[in-house]
Amino acid sequence: MAEKPEDLNLPNAVITRIIKEALPDGVNVSKEARRAISQAASVFVLYATSCANNFALKAKRKTLNAADVLAAMEEMEFERFLEPLRAALEVYKKGQKGKKEVSEQKRKEKEKKADCEHEKSKEDEEGEDEEEQRMEEETEEGEEEVEN
Amino acid sequence: MAALVSSTEQESDRCGSEEENRGVEAGDGGQQQQTGPAAPGGSRLSKLPLARIKALMKTDPDVSLASQESVFIIAKATELFVEMIAKDALVYAQQGKRKTLQRKDLDNAIEAVDEFAFLEGTLD
Repeated sequence: MAEKPEDLNLPNAVITRIIKEALPDGVNVSKEARRAISQAASVFVLYATSCANNFALKAKRKTLNAADVLAAMEEMEFERFLEPLRAALEVYKKGQKGKKEVSEQKRKEKEKKADCEHEKSKEDEEGEDEEEQRMEEETEEGEEEVEN
Repeated sequence: MAALVSSTEQESDRCGSEEENRGVEAGDGGQQQQTGPAAPGGSRLSKLPLARIKALMKTDPDVSLASQESVFIIAKATELFVEMIAKDALVYAQQGKRKTLQRKDLDNAIEAVDEFAFLEGTLD
């Protein structure tokens, strides 16, 4: 799965949308300009990654973290990005927390359901009239015997 | 080679949806759905698909692992970068009394703006 930087482009539609939202109405972008911006964005990712990685290595870490990226932005002279990036990071972190809690809840619910399933089938039958219940239990037993 | 696997298990559904869309990549429309339904919450903050950003980062042989947050910040920074370079290029289009951004406007911006120096010689 070794993909080269040249093969990995950012999705055209998204790049176009970001450009359009940044520019006033009525302004168009030629295909060549769009392609160049997309390429520039990929180069930016690689440059930022490399820069951030240097900070991580300096700190003797093998995992790139958010602080490394922010430090890289400063190094690359994109200080103007720092404020909005920090703000976005806060929101992102909260979102991630919520996601973890949701997936943990789901896991717990799954386990509960697995336990309850046996009991639930019994409960359904008990909900009916007693007479029917008795009959069903008898037939159930009968069926079991047949299966065996 | 240690890849960016450990910290990104939560993104697996995002990666899955991206793989499904790969067949549709020729058309632009399909790509927009990647960050939408697959993973709620954080992913909506980034317009760019984190899985693709991560894949790009992985092409650097010196990078072993990257936290989810770092991938997100790079994605966000890239968004800001695109906005910035588009706006800077627009200045040159306007100087040429054009309403359409052209490749040469980009080249001018790259030459003129210090922060874009790293781009020199990198574009086709």
